[in-house]
Amino acid sequence: MENIVEMRGVTKRFPGVVANDDISLKIRRGEIFALLGENGAGKSTLMSMLFGLYEPDEGEIFIRGERVRITSPTFAAGLSIGMVHQHFRLVENFTIAENIVLGAEPVRRKLGFLPYVDMRAAGAKIAELSRRYGLEVEPEAVIEDVGISIRQRVEILKMLYREAEILIFDEPTAMLAPQEIEYLLQILKNLRESGKTVILITHKLEEIKKTADRCGILSRGKLVGVYDVAETSTDEMASLMVGRELAGEAAPEEHEFGAEVLRVEKLDVIRDRMKKVDGVSFSVREGEIFAVAGVDGNGQTELTDAIAGLLRSSGGAVTLGGEDLTRADVRERMEKGISYVPEDRHGVGLLLDFTLGDNLTMRRYYEEPFSRRGIRDERAIAEYADRLIERYDIRSGRGYSTVVRSMSGGNQQKAIVAREIELDSRLLIFVQPTRGLDIGATRAIHEHILNQRAAGKAILLVSLELEEILALADTIGVMYGGRMNRVAAARELSIDEVGAYMTGVRQ
Amino acid sequence: MKKRSRVTRLLVRAFGDERRQAFTVPVFAVVMSLAAAAILLLAIGKNPVAAFRALLSGAGFLPKGSYSSGKGIFTDLMTTLSSLTPMIFAALAVTVAFKAGLFNIGVSGQMLFAGFLATVLVGYSALPGYIARPLVILIGIAAGAIAGGVIGLLKYRFNINEVVSSIMINYIFQYVIGFFILTKFVDPVTRHSKAIVKAARLVPSGVQIGRYKTDFPVIVVLAVAASFALKFFLDRTRAGFELRAVGAHPKAAQYAGVKVGRNIVLAMTLSGALAGLAGVAYYLGYYDSITPKALSSVGFDAIAVSLLGNSNPIGGLFASILVTAVDRGSTYMSSAMNVQREISQVITGLILLFSACGAFIRHLVNRAREEDK
Repeated sequence: MENIVEMRGVTKRFPGVVANDDISLKIRRGEIFALLGENGAGKSTLMSMLFGLYEPDEGEIFIRGERVRITSPTFAAGLSIGMVHQHFRLVENFTIAENIVLGAEPVRRKLGFLPYVDMRAAGAKIAELSRRYGLEVEPEAVIEDVGISIRQRVEILKMLYREAEILIFDEPTAMLAPQEIEYLLQILKNLRESGKTVILITHKLEEIKKTADRCGILSRGKLVGVYDVAETSTDEMASLMVGRELAGEAAPEEHEFGAEVLRVEKLDVIRDRMKKVDGVSFSVREGEIFAVAGVDGNGQTELTDAIAGLLRSSGGAVTLGGEDLTRADVRERMEKGISYVPEDRHGVGLLLDFTLGDNLTMRRYYEEPFSRRGIRDERAIAEYADRLIERYDIRSGRGYSTVVRSMSGGNQQKAIVAREIELDSRLLIFVQPTRGLDIGATRAIHEHILNQRAAGKAILLVSLELEEILALADTIGVMYGGRMNRVAAARELSIDEVGAYMTGVRQ
Repeated sequence: MKKRSRVTRLLVRAFGDERRQAFTVPVFAVVMSLAAAAILLLAIGKNPVAAFRALLSGAGFLPKGSYSSGKGIFTDLMTTLSSLTPMIFAALAVTVAFKAGLFNIGVSGQMLFAGFLATVLVGYSALPGYIARPLVILIGIAAGAIAGGVIGLLKYRFNINEVVSSIMINYIFQYVIGFFILTKFVDPVTRHSKAIVKAARLVPSGVQIGRYKTDFPVIVVLAVAASFALKFFLDRTRAGFELRAVGAHPKAAQYAGVKVGRNIVLAMTLSGALAGLAGVAYYLGYYDSITPKALSSVGFDAIAVSLLGNSNPIGGLFASILVTAVDRGSTYMSSAMNVQREISQVITGLILLFSACGAFIRHLVNRAREEDK
């Protein structure tokens, strides 16, 4: 088979790191080629060079056998290379059709000179593309009114409209629900059937197993190798990716739970005049991991914010160990024993422009030893921070005096988890604790969660990743449209059942 | 790191060190503004070096060619310090609000309110100086704190943007106080408020020191002390930490258990108190009367001064000195060099303009560095 893309000895350096180190790679026409690696392994950098966002420092790129210097995304488009970014680039108040043609408008001239955009011709072409690849969209719908899955289809149609032959997808399933992921994977296969070349950047092994033909694995900027997906097991891929054997995560064993810690009764939360949480009731016991599954935006964040005291509830009650905390403020709830790892790490969980020391003490800064008679004790803060940095392996440039904004996402999250665990609370709430983290950091955080359970803590876990929920949960509650539709022991639920509840197929 | 011009690369090299940025960027802004001023002076055919010397002489930092009797470099310096004091307080007022994420554009109104109350309550009384002066200061603090606190309360309780409310309140103070001055306290000759008694004035005038008869602005010591006190408050105290957290990351501050609303009120109260001090140092110090129906420009210039000082109390102190020196020196420069007084105002304007560019330079440098990552 013909190689449509070839990279020879491509190296890209950024100050302090070699993002891609001497990578040679061949991608064949008409295959789905997966690029696998942990966060920061250099996947996105490598593909950004193919898409013209960066130029390599060393090495050569060949497209269809011809050596090229891809200097800009426009140039890449000229070579029929398209990319769907993780964050979509769409004009919110334009229609789907307008977004698709934007930048490549079919211009015709009325009466021979008046230029206008021939939306009818564009519409016909879009309809034809939708049919051919199974990408259903309403061309007249406005982007701000449609969901993430539809937006992604629009991005794909944008590439197809420009007749791209090489399609790069950067973590396309990160924000999708299970059914939507299935749908997308089917589209990728459709694209392959019609002769397109698909490059899939991901760190989800199941997706690769389901769709890809071959898989290039990157680890710390180096290409470990290119493997035939059919002949490589997911375990092998995982260990190649992290460069070490992974001990399989312990499946949740059956064990007894202790006394009830958190009880939520008929909780309502109204935000932006919308009822985001609607009569939710459940309880979490000592030694239990209660996991809330659901598609993003179904009230999970509002639920945990209300339990932690960041949002006021408009009805119902929250009790902790029998004590009513419905009216308590954030600090009182923290002092009574609620730790909270919030979903929005940057906006809520961290004082981004403050130091690591400030952040590790930000929940207890007001009491001794961190403040004495209103004066902050920098030494006590530094000592405490050093202890946590050591114990939780938080890496940073300048220790406790590092500004948190400059740290990597994984280490920022480790800092939050360290801080909240050290509060030694009866209840720990984790919302999406491993989102965007690589396998190593994810494992470390899962281990902390399991240790806390072993220590008899009650744990409330919210995650969008079903794998995470199935790996950790003792009990699963599924949220859809602000309601908790199903609560059951984890072993009684199959992944398909959870998927059906979280997408509202079953109520 | 695609296309990066040589200019940005140079900028990154010069200002890349984040720790030194607090110092390098403002210095660069000042050098740029002086360079621009020099070009301006050359364009109208004046020697920029001589002009800058005259500027410094006028502010009392360099000796003039000749002095009238009882005057000297010392008296010039004292006058500069006297005019510097309100600027320092006003810049601190802007800084403390800014640290809490608030924009106090009402400093001038708060100054007027505090100055007026102190004038009316103490300025015409027969109290001896050792009671009158502390009383003036206390009234200034209290009146300013109330005027600022109300703005904070409006924001906390009714979510009224502090910029809108303080501009409105500025107008209210300006005209209501103007009405009272013109109907009750006006001096028929000057059309200002009647001059306050000497005992109440924070800058005693005509003090004999050596062979000089001079204004003696002791209150500048208080202003400098306030700068260091505010620096300590923000950096080292628990309340200062809360205030900064609310300003930089309100949601995270709430999560940390900080009472966001209370800190907004606190910051505006503190800001108002400092503005009140600026007010009494201005109306009962540098001047001894109030012009009705007018706001002082100090409260507005202080916004730029605070920015030039990198929103740092000590930086604000130096920025105040710079701007006041230029402002004070300009009169002498225009007469000695025979240039229009407007030119020196243009130079002040240039400094303020480039100080705003400081934030832009920092943004440029930090973005260029982000792209490197």
